[in-house]
Amino acid sequence: MSASDVLIEPTSHGVNILKSAAPILVGIALAVGIQFLLPSTVGPYYSRLVIDAGIAMILAVSLNIVNGMTGQFSIGHAGFMTIGAYTAGSITFYSSLLIWGTAAKHGSFLGSGEWMFVIACLCGGITASIAGFVVGLPSLRLRGDYLAIVTLGFGEILRVLLQQTGKVVDNAEIVRNAPLTTFATVPVGGAIGFDGIPKYTTLFWVYAFLAITVIFAYRLKRSSFGRAMLSVREDEIAAQAMGINTSRQKLLAFITAAFFAGVGGGLLAHESGVIISPKDAGFQRSFDYVIMTVLGGRGSITGVMLAAILLSGLPEVLRDFERYRIIIYAALLIFMMLSRPQGLFGIHEIWDFFPRSWKTLPWKKSPREEAQ
Amino acid sequence: MADFLQTLMTALAIGSLYALIALGYTMVYGVLKFINFAHSDIVVLGAWLSYSFAIRALPLVGLDAHNPATPPPIWMTAGIFVAVLLLCSLAGFLIERLAYRPLRRAPRLNVLITAIGVSLLLQNVGQLDFVFGASPQKMPALLPNWELPIQFGQGESIRYVVLPLIDCIIFAVSGLLMLALELLIFRTKFGTALRAVSFNTDFAALMGIPVDRAISLTFMLGSALAGAAGFLYVLKFPSMNQPAHSVWVLLGLKAFVAAVVGGIGNIRGAVLGGFIIAFVEQFGAYYISSNYRDVYVFSLLILILLIKPTGLLGSPVREKV
Amino acid sequence: MNQVLEHRSAGAAQQTLLEVKDLGISFGGLKAVQNFNLTLPSAGLYGLIGPNGAGKTTVFNLLTGIYQPQTGSLSLNGKNLLGCKPHEVTAAGIARTFQNIRLFPNLSILDNVRLAGQIRIRPKLVSTFLRTNGYREQEAALKAQAMDLLEIFDLQDRAEDLAQNLSYGHQRRLEIIRALATKPSVLLLDEPAAGLNPQEKLALAQSIRQIRDRFEVAILLIEHDMQLVMDICERIVVLDHGVTICEGTPQTVQNDEKVIAAYLGAIADDA
Repeated sequence: MSASDVLIEPTSHGVNILKSAAPILVGIALAVGIQFLLPSTVGPYYSRLVIDAGIAMILAVSLNIVNGMTGQFSIGHAGFMTIGAYTAGSITFYSSLLIWGTAAKHGSFLGSGEWMFVIACLCGGITASIAGFVVGLPSLRLRGDYLAIVTLGFGEILRVLLQQTGKVVDNAEIVRNAPLTTFATVPVGGAIGFDGIPKYTTLFWVYAFLAITVIFAYRLKRSSFGRAMLSVREDEIAAQAMGINTSRQKLLAFITAAFFAGVGGGLLAHESGVIISPKDAGFQRSFDYVIMTVLGGRGSITGVMLAAILLSGLPEVLRDFERYRIIIYAALLIFMMLSRPQGLFGIHEIWDFFPRSWKTLPWKKSPREEAQ
Repeated sequence: MADFLQTLMTALAIGSLYALIALGYTMVYGVLKFINFAHSDIVVLGAWLSYSFAIRALPLVGLDAHNPATPPPIWMTAGIFVAVLLLCSLAGFLIERLAYRPLRRAPRLNVLITAIGVSLLLQNVGQLDFVFGASPQKMPALLPNWELPIQFGQGESIRYVVLPLIDCIIFAVSGLLMLALELLIFRTKFGTALRAVSFNTDFAALMGIPVDRAISLTFMLGSALAGAAGFLYVLKFPSMNQPAHSVWVLLGLKAFVAAVVGGIGNIRGAVLGGFIIAFVEQFGAYYISSNYRDVYVFSLLILILLIKPTGLLGSPVREKV
Repeated sequence: MNQVLEHRSAGAAQQTLLEVKDLGISFGGLKAVQNFNLTLPSAGLYGLIGPNGAGKTTVFNLLTGIYQPQTGSLSLNGKNLLGCKPHEVTAAGIARTFQNIRLFPNLSILDNVRLAGQIRIRPKLVSTFLRTNGYREQEAALKAQAMDLLEIFDLQDRAEDLAQNLSYGHQRRLEIIRALATKPSVLLLDEPAAGLNPQEKLALAQSIRQIRDRFEVAILLIEHDMQLVMDICERIVVLDHGVTICEGTPQTVQNDEKVIAAYLGAIADDA
């Protein structure tokens, strides 16, 4: 009897469904825990930092799909984020205005306002992924540095275009009476940024979305899709010769990464104390996320998360040395490239570094045993 | 007609600057095959060194450093220019030696990321108080403020096109530098060595060409040109932004775009690209809308890359299977 | 038996599988390959030889869609492959190995093989995220097939190692396994014996024959080791400067004056 006969035999479907759903449920439960326990223990200041770190992780983990897994070099990720931020922000702002007559926050935890915000974030993700498709198209023809420049150009074009948008219209009557003329000016604030977006972003939503992002990225990496993406990174010509449609994989990477970046942007737009502005689309912000992926290790999800936490926490540690923050960033980056070019974790995940005994948990089997 | 000529002249001056900077990008790409993101910061260094020298040198000849009544003697201007060139090429040499050389055999992406790191480092070190500071400054005039008005039309419709001296100087100095570079690369032994390194570094080393020295010289040459561009730029636009300002990065980016549009790695392509970018930007700004000038440049870049991925004069690369 | 070893229509040994007519390409002014003709029957084992730079690998690149031929026609089982992208050619049933090994160095050996095996599945993004039962079954089947293949070639114990950590000989073997995982009907081997020692070469010669019989593939082989080629190939095509100078059985080729001249000439050129 050969290995495949045994494996095709379905193990209990119920167990599998549980195994598939458990991480997502655990992630959401954790998010609920953070939402209700963290602010009372560490106070609002640190809660805000935890929100920032969460959003940074969403962006870094999503960028890692393009840069780390697929080996394309995008430095326009902040562009996708900004598209998501503006889309989500204008949806909640103007919908609130039209429905409730004011753009102020409406409803409490899991109330109607929050659900509007979640839908807006998802719409932000969808618009961003459309942009991801468009920006991904050049990746079919361009490699390496050239692609980097095109993605950078995309962010810059977006920045300039957003600067030309019209003033925010904070008056329900005007919007109701002349919706067409109001929206024709794209009233999202122009160069000064989009002020007045209701501040719905909470620890719960950030960490719930983060859990989904991370589980998605992890499952993607371990699936046929992920292997195909990794093969594009490793050797594009060999990947083609093995029957991988490399164009499709690259586009897919751009689209999925942009989706999560868009959602992350939506969360950022609704974070209190944040006013999104055209500047966010520029390459400087994109560099921040690139640095996180590089520091974490190409393709390593846990490594990139750790780097995102470190780098979003660093400015707070260095608050008294604000001037030196970027200098330290930069020096760290150069030092990293010279001494450990593969990043913190390289291509590995954090548990690859655990002692072997931890890994042989009772329910884990080696590939040999599994195939027998 | 007059407007057209005025725009044309600005485009020529700015195009020369883009070309000067683009040459540095293209030369480094030619030998090391990576985008030296820190190149634009050499331009900034050149600009701010010019300023630092000028405010220290002007009092020596009894002029108000911040608002000179007359330009300094020509030897002083020339002296500042040469000093800026030398210091910039030293900076280029050091950057290559310390940051890039250890990565000679590393994947190109790593070098690219290092370059981004070097760029961030230079920008923000330059912003420190004891370096150049983080506030904008005004560059004192180092050249006479002459302008040559050219008359157009008669009577009612009389129009003048003003041709500033500085534009002519930018055009002439850049032209001379580019000519010198062209001669150096295509007519001298060093140029032959450089082209050999660019063609195949390993083979060049086997032929006894000192590859490291050739690469160092490439960086020094490119950085000197960037320094020259920085010097000329602040003479034309004396309001200087602080070193990490995005204006500088955009200047560098556009020059880089010029190099890519012309075909990166190709010396003549960089010059061609510089002028194309300046023309698109200036004429687009004048005739359509100046708000979108960066959009024209980057759209042109994307368009050209999609039509001809290796740029206008770039030769197609075929990956060996 | 499992799917990997599933027999293709047996007994059609002499049926034409790969038909190549007048294939040609030039780079700049250089005519890299001209008028290349080949009729490969199913389960045939043919050799492609010639001095360095004769255009052998270029022929492989033309057959696999990496280069688009400028002249000629190319069909597999009567299906036209001209204008197909490399991945479409592989899907149609032509798999190859590379002269300078092109494994996925940072992927595990299992993943290298699994990746090639997934050519015939159409995964869905949503079921990948939710890890539905259908997805689990698909992945389990992929893994089992890959492990079976590795077992045949005795690499099963190293399944989790990274490809870059394999010895040179094992890397060459993994390239062949990976190509077979795409379930090809034609296998193109580009210098599989390069860098192997005499014992390994003998073993390789044996396993090439076995692969042909066991997996029912037709094999076209580029090789510099004349003894290997003469031993195992049924017919041999000799290229020189992109032109076919001789085609026939090993005996015919060995005694052909043009072939001898090409090789001696090549030696004289090198001297």
